[in-house]
Parts: sequence; structure tokens; C-alpha cells
Amino acid sequence: MAIKSLGEYNFPSRSAAENYGDDQLVSVWFQDTLWFAAPVMFRAPRAMTWAEFKDQLFVPFAEEDPDYDPAAGRTWTLHGKPFEPQDGQSLADLGVRHKDVIGTRVAA
Amino acid sequence: MTLAPEKKSKKTKKLSMKARYEALTRGLDWEPSYVAKDEMFPHLDYEGIKIHDWAAWEDPFRLTIDSYCKYQAEKDKRLYAVLDGFAQGQGHLSLTDASYLNAMKVFIQGVTPLEYGAHRHFAYLARHFAGPGPRFAALCQSIDEIRHMQTEIHTLSNYNKYYSGMHNWPENFDRVWYLSVPKSFFEDALSCGPFEFLIAVGFSFEYLLTNLLFVPFMSGASFNGDLPTMTFGFSAQSDESRHMTLGLEAIKFLLEQDEANVEIVQGWIDKWFWRSYRVTALVAQMLDYMLPRKVMSWKESFELYFEEQMLGGLFEDLAFYGIKPPRHVEDAIKEKELLSHQVYWTLYQFSFAAGFTTTAPTDEHLDWLSQAYPDTFDKYYRPLWEKEKKNIENGGRHFARGLPQLCQVCQVPMLFTEPGEPSVLAQHESEFEGEIYHTCSNGCQWIFDREPEKYRQAWLPVHQILQGNCGGPTVPDVLEWYGLQDGDAGEYIGSRDHKNWVAWQGEAAADTAAPTEKAGA
Amino acid sequence: MSEQTAADQTQTKAVRDVGVVIQESESNRPVIEAIEQDNPECTTMHTPGLVRITAPGRIVINQETVEEKVGREWETHEFQMAIVSYFGNIQEWDDDEIVIAWDH
Repeated sequence: MAIKSLGEYNFPSRSAAENYGDDQLVSVWFQDTLWFAAPVMFRAPRAMTWAEFKDQLFVPFAEEDPDYDPAAGRTWTLHGKPFEPQDGQSLADLGVRHKDVIGTRVAA
Repeated sequence: MTLAPEKKSKKTKKLSMKARYEALTRGLDWEPSYVAKDEMFPHLDYEGIKIHDWAAWEDPFRLTIDSYCKYQAEKDKRLYAVLDGFAQGQGHLSLTDASYLNAMKVFIQGVTPLEYGAHRHFAYLARHFAGPGPRFAALCQSIDEIRHMQTEIHTLSNYNKYYSGMHNWPENFDRVWYLSVPKSFFEDALSCGPFEFLIAVGFSFEYLLTNLLFVPFMSGASFNGDLPTMTFGFSAQSDESRHMTLGLEAIKFLLEQDEANVEIVQGWIDKWFWRSYRVTALVAQMLDYMLPRKVMSWKESFELYFEEQMLGGLFEDLAFYGIKPPRHVEDAIKEKELLSHQVYWTLYQFSFAAGFTTTAPTDEHLDWLSQAYPDTFDKYYRPLWEKEKKNIENGGRHFARGLPQLCQVCQVPMLFTEPGEPSVLAQHESEFEGEIYHTCSNGCQWIFDREPEKYRQAWLPVHQILQGNCGGPTVPDVLEWYGLQDGDAGEYIGSRDHKNWVAWQGEAAADTAAPTEKAGA
Repeated sequence: MSEQTAADQTQTKAVRDVGVVIQESESNRPVIEAIEQDNPECTTMHTPGLVRITAPGRIVINQETVEEKVGREWETHEFQMAIVSYFGNIQEWDDDEIVIAWDH
């Protein structure tokens, strides 16, 4: 449905990718715990490797949960599908887009 | 009986209420002579609403200038007498606890600025409606709204002398993350056409949800020793009854004017019910978590003031016009046993960046919650608080070390769960012109997909912080940019307010103990 | 038995409650008493500071009854000083009475 407006109505997104330079926004959604009330959002370089993403962004956030077990294996999802990222791959290589949400839970 | 006045002789001198109202709203209107009527009222066509007869508008209150001024003055007089007495008697020391004021901090930061927004926009309606009846009703409401803003400021300014979090609310409103929820809601309404605004604020907010927002809130103030807020609340609510009438009259008027209006109005009800309902999330947690002495749970309040009064009463009435209950109302009903817990758990872990403090519920409070929410609390939320209790014993305190993903429409962190699945966080994704947008619920996604051009502009606090637009990259940078000071944010226990409260209560106890000691000596 | 329940439900649906919420204060007590007297089917509920009065279908506030209770002249506009909220529709607000009822 078009906006009902007195004049032309076309304004840019305030969160568009170009506002973040070489970086992008990426959220992580903890699917097996309610300890974190909502998914967390990071700003991460597109060229950042999966290992760096985990060590520098994911772990420092996740370990605030007293039950966080660094040794536990985790499963990941992206765009609703299982996702098996390798440490050396960059977020861009992995197909993680601006504002994408990566789901995670401890492997069964 | 002897006191009963002899009245009839006296009253016949005056015109009847009906005649006075007619004289004001009809007799003072005129037809333009040197411009066309649509030039005089240029904003009335573009939304597609058709009005054939503006004179059909009836204001049941039949308010005239003289009675409006007389009663508003009386209301102010009563309020300011209470404020004065409370301040002179150091009334703040008789609150149940200083933590009670966290609810008032959220109120002055998040609600008071909305009153000002409403004042401005009802003034716009008072200019732009083509009928004198609705113009006058909008004018009164515009004056009411600025009175509410002023009386709220005066009511809470006494607390600001002694407590944190209330010193910078106008700037907080424009900048702080959780305040973007009420701010974006209201700006969404302000940027609509005049008729949509009327349905958005006059009907959906003022009629459908105002009881839920203010009535339990006033009882909460009364029950927690906050006489000024109770009196202010009463003073404002009595105007609110008039606003509800305007909202209801507005919707009936639009529906009766043209059959083609029905579909447009239904769309607005669907949208604005959900937008307004999402804002009430902040109130839900106030009732269940921020009031030291509880009045009623959010669930009870929702059942009484929304399900019973609105769904059971009002919508049966509107069915006559072909209006259906709001879309997604079932999702709201399913949420009533979850909402306050989810929201407070979120505020608890992000209050390091807020203009209020939070604390873990005591065991007694947890028991009250278990009893008020027998089907959900013990299953989903009590375990989180028990875990947090251990965490605190071990020297922790759950503060999230990051920023939450936000809903593109309501701007609340994505804390809500899928209807009927209380442990599955909801994630809705829409794509528009190559960019993806996330929403927290069926309701918000429906609203986004209906007008993506509007919602893609959202100034989402987390996205803006990460863009570097909010003072800098670290939490202290952002807090400084928010204009928050030491003592405003974080954990309540050990906070400045808490320490002062304990000291002041101790002094009071020492004062009363002293004469006895002397007498004994 | 189940028939009776069904019939009851139809009946409650046909006559929906309306209600009014009034600040509980000394000056409003006569107004509350007047409403209770003129609406014998009403139910009252107290929460801190407030009284909620509901009745099936219709609530009327009569100027005459209120004046008897307060012992002075009382114009219906003065009800604005007492009302906190209501549900239903204000059908009449005249010199002699205020009526809250659903339209349809």
C-alpha cells in the first residue's frame, strides 16, 4: 500500500549498509536460553573471519551467562538454515549480509 | 431535605446546556467568502476519508468556554494545594520505597513529552477540521494536553530535588534507547493525516488503552504513598474522559459519514491498536515489577480494562458499523501472561544505560508473581531469577555486554516470543528495495509491510550508536551523550537513591527514638 | 444445565455492562451514593483511590439525586470533577442527567 501523503514520499533507510563503511550489522540470536532477553547486535567488518567474530564479539558477550560453556559444541543457523562456518572464512564469504541474524544453540 | 435548594426558578434564566453549546459551536462559525472551502482546509481529502456533513458531529460533553475554564481552574487549584502540602510536609519520605520512583522516572521521561506532542497536534486539528464542533473539541484537548505536561513537571519536580533520573528528561526522550519506543510511536502518529491521527491517538490510544495506562497507575501511586502523582493522575484523567469521548465520537462520525470510510478506519484501528499496545509494554512491567506495593497484575488489568470493557463492550457496539476487533488482538491476549516478565527482564539487563535503576525481585515479590501468573511464571521466569540470585551471590550482576537487536516498527528490543511459544523469541524479516528489516511480531511486521517507505526511516538507537552518531563507541560515551549522570542508571541496591533513602529513613527513626532516650535519662 | 449456561451467556451478551470510574474522595461520596441509589443493579469495585461502578446496559446520574445527597446546587458539568474514566458511550449530558449506555 502506498503512503498517503501530501507530496512525494521517498526517504532513505537510516540503517542502510552504506552508513557502516566496510562494516555491517550482525545479530546473534541465542535460541536455547532466555538468559539474554533479546538477540545481540554487533558491528563487524565484512572481512572479519569467523574465528575473529567468535573470539572478539561472540564469546565476550556470551560468557556473561554463568552457564556458558566455552568447550561445548554449538550449532549455527543463517537464513533459517543450518550453517557450518569455517574459522578462516570471512563474514562476506559466508554469505552474512548487512543486518543478518545468526542463530545458535548448544549442540545436542 | 431542608437543605435542598429551590432551584428551578434560578436556572431558567440561563440557556440550557444544549443551547449554549449550539451557540458556541454553530453560531460562531462562518462560511469563507473570498477563498474556497478546500483552500481554507487543505488537508482533509488526501487520506480518502469522505465527510458529507460536518454539522452531524455531536459532542456529548457540550462543553463551553466558561465551564471549561471554571472546572479546569478548579482542578489545578486542588492539585497545587496537594503538591504544596506534600512538599512542605516532606511527603517524599513517606513513599513505600525510593525504588517506587523508577516508575515515575519512566513516566516523566516517556509520557510527559507525549503530552506536549499531543498538545501541538490537537492544535493543528483545531485549525484544520472543517467543522466547528470537532475544532472546538480538539482545541480543548490541545489546552488539556499542555496542562498535563505542565502539571506532570510540577508534580515530579519536587522529587527531582532529592532523587536521580529526572533531571534531563526532554533530552533523554530524544536520545535514550527505550524512550525511542514512545517517541517513535507518537511521531508516527504526528506524521499521519488529520483523520488517521484522530483514530491513532484519539481512539486507539485514548479510548482503547488509556484505562490500561493510567487507571491502575493512579491506584499504584495512591497505594505507594505518592499523593501528588495520584492527584495529578486524577486531574488529568478527568480530562481524559473527555478525550475518550472525542475519540469515540470521532470514530462513529467517520463511520456514519460514508460507507467507504469503514475500510480505511478498520485499517487504522488494526495498525494503531498494535502500535499503542506495544507502548503499553512499558506500563506492564511498571505494574508487576516497579511498584513496591502491588495493586493488580498486568494480566488482571488487561482482562478488566481491555478484554472486558473494550472487546466485550465497545467492539460489540462498533460491529453495527461493520468494524471488527483489531487485527492481531489474539496475539496480544496470548501475551498477557508473559509481557511484563519479558520486558522487565530486558530492562533489568540493560539498565546500565537507562535513566532509572532496576533490581532483582525479592523472594516475597517472586511469590506474588508466581501466584499472579500461575501458568507461566514458575515455568519460564522464576528459574531466570533464581539463576540470577546465585549469580549475584557469586559476585555477578546480569548486565548484558552488548546492545540488543531492535524491532524496526515499535523499536522495542526483540524480546517478544512467538504466540503460544513462550520460549521461542520471535524473528520476523521483511525485505524492501534490497534491504532487510526485522520486526518483533506478526503485528509489527504487518505494519511494516503495509507502509515500508515510512518505517525504513526509523532512527533505531542501536543502529545509530553503532553508526557512531551517539557520542562515541563506548558505554560511558553514550551515557554522556544521553545526559545521564552518576546515580541515574544501573542497579538500585547501593545506588545513590537507595543510599540516601536508607540514610533518611535512619534519620527519621533516630529522630523518633531520641526523645524516648532523653525521657529515660 | 448446559442449556441454562448457554442462555445466560446470550443474555449477558445482549445486555453489556457499562461503567464509570470515580475518584474516591469525601467530596465525591455523595455522587457515588446517588449513582448507587439510581442504578440499583450496579456493582462497585474499590481499588486504592478509585471506585469503579458497573451496571448492565446503562448508568444514569441524576442531578436531583446528587443535589439531595450533597445538600446544595450541583450542575452536571461538575461531574467532570469526579469522573476518572468510563466505558460505554456518553449518550446524554444534559442539565438534569448524564446517561452512559452503549448505542447498539
